[in-house]
Amino acid sequence: MSTTNVAVDLALRMEAVRKVYRVGDSEIVALDHADLTVAPGEIVALVGPSGSGKTTLCSIAGGILSATSGRVVVGGTDISDFSSKELTAFRQSTVGFVFQSVNLVPFLTARENLLVVDELGRRTGSAARKRADAILGELGIADRANNLPSQLSGGQRQRVAIGRALMNEPRLVLFDEPTSALDTKLGEQVMTVIRNEMKNRGIAAIVVTHDERNTRYCDRTVHIVDGRLEGTSSH
Amino acid sequence: MFLALKEMKRSKVRFLLLMVAVALLVFLILFQQGISSALIRDFTGAIENQTAPVLVYSVDGQRVLQASVMTPELEAEVASVPGIAASGRLGVGTFTVTADGERVDATIIGYEQPELGAPSRLVAGRLPSARYEVVATEEDRSKGFDIGDTVTVEPGGRALTVVGLARQSQLNVVPTLFTAYNTYVDAVAARNPDARTPLPNVLALTPEAGLTPEVLAERINAVDLNLDALTRQQAADKTPGVSQVKQSFAVIFLLYGLVVPLVTGLFFLIVTFQKANSLTLLRAIGAPSSRLVRSLLVQVAIVLVGGLGIGILCDVAISQGQVGSLTLEFNPGAVVFWAVLLFVLGIISSLVAARRVLAIDPIAATTGAGVGR
Repeated sequence: MSTTNVAVDLALRMEAVRKVYRVGDSEIVALDHADLTVAPGEIVALVGPSGSGKTTLCSIAGGILSATSGRVVVGGTDISDFSSKELTAFRQSTVGFVFQSVNLVPFLTARENLLVVDELGRRTGSAARKRADAILGELGIADRANNLPSQLSGGQRQRVAIGRALMNEPRLVLFDEPTSALDTKLGEQVMTVIRNEMKNRGIAAIVVTHDERNTRYCDRTVHIVDGRLEGTSSH
Repeated sequence: MFLALKEMKRSKVRFLLLMVAVALLVFLILFQQGISSALIRDFTGAIENQTAPVLVYSVDGQRVLQASVMTPELEAEVASVPGIAASGRLGVGTFTVTADGERVDATIIGYEQPELGAPSRLVAGRLPSARYEVVATEEDRSKGFDIGDTVTVEPGGRALTVVGLARQSQLNVVPTLFTAYNTYVDAVAARNPDARTPLPNVLALTPEAGLTPEVLAERINAVDLNLDALTRQQAADKTPGVSQVKQSFAVIFLLYGLVVPLVTGLFFLIVTFQKANSLTLLRAIGAPSSRLVRSLLVQVAIVLVGGLGIGILCDVAISQGQVGSLTLEFNPGAVVFWAVLLFVLGIISSLVAARRVLAIDPIAATTGAGVGR
């Protein structure tokens, strides 16, 4: 994996990032010359209507998608030209994800859903088990460690997903609509957990959301419309 | 291993059912293989497990021992062929005999010399050394054909004493008695006192040193179109009906051979579709495709090995007994052949599921779509 150490002080730097999908003879611009920086420990809310490019931006920042052009640097590593294999290793080691709908492996317990991250990586064994137990404890679900996802409430499942996203000690965590499936009260609880965990650990996060109420848990809100980042407001 | 074993642990019933299905199919294959082998063995064992390397039939006999008749002219022609170290007559007939108070059909095979037609797998007792002594087939010992038992040829009442037992030496799936040629002639006469001295059915030959049975058989066949010389194995394999039985079973085995990998492949393909979301999630959080494929193959291997193990154990248990008049036998060679073949085919069939895993795009995790959608 080739790395270029630039802007080490930033968790994320995206410069003139563009993503174009080709459908037949036509082109669809999902992301258009996006510039975004996120500092370590900073939580950025990414707000925009459906189809505005929020998920595309997150996917590129997290190495799930490759940009058509532009530069993406995460935790000092330039991933712009990474191969698919390199991006897989990068996702495993450097970023955390909490997705909107698909978040936990149903045949693994809460604890195992955290440990699977270690299993996919360099396997630290007992150290990983201690870390998983500690994270579950911090998230207030230590007593549900041996429960399968089907035995957990929606809020507990999201906490487990947050725990999994923290297992690899990431530089950046990407939350894609983390509260969309929860009621207001549970949503607030989850956002509180996200804020506390990110701030306590100094980890940068991008929270994709439709819900403006979630932005108050973030340090900054970035609006995106038709693939363009349009405005930023600080809280 | 972590993912593979955890999934199997949480879905025990599902994987166990597949394992049982594979085990059942493996058992059916091995069981039918056992029946096929036993049927052919009991049909032609007397030919395969006798001492003469070359047998000469008359063409009119169509390779059936009882139907072949060697006239003095044919005998003379055979005797003129160079390369024969020893020659002896074989007489073969089906008789009604009384054994243990029951009237049953039995084959009597008479040979002139022990090296030319006597049973080669004597497992108890001895070969006949006096008139009216016979070696019976071991599989029939409980039916009045044990050592010391007297078997009576009907009608005529010629008594024959069993002095030895031979394994896997039946002819036409009936009790078979090996005896001296003159005893065979006496049995024919006892059954029908008006009959003339029977002609030999087949000539048994040994080639001279340095000459193979195949070459000797070719030489004899070149002498006269009415002669049909075959090596011992050829004579067993070319007995009418044997190849048809083998072909019929081969078709059945082919179907089973296709069903096992088909069932395994389909099962894992369905499972792969069912857990598409999990696989997509794992790819998104950094699981290499190779790791997920390895996990799949580990599961396939466990299911196949488990199924093969259970199926083989069932076969071991049932091959200790009999099915009707057929004595089954555990055949390690067949077990190894089928185990390796089914394992390899099972792994190959799961590659379709592996292909689906390799096709997973992690971006689907952001949309909730999984593999194959």
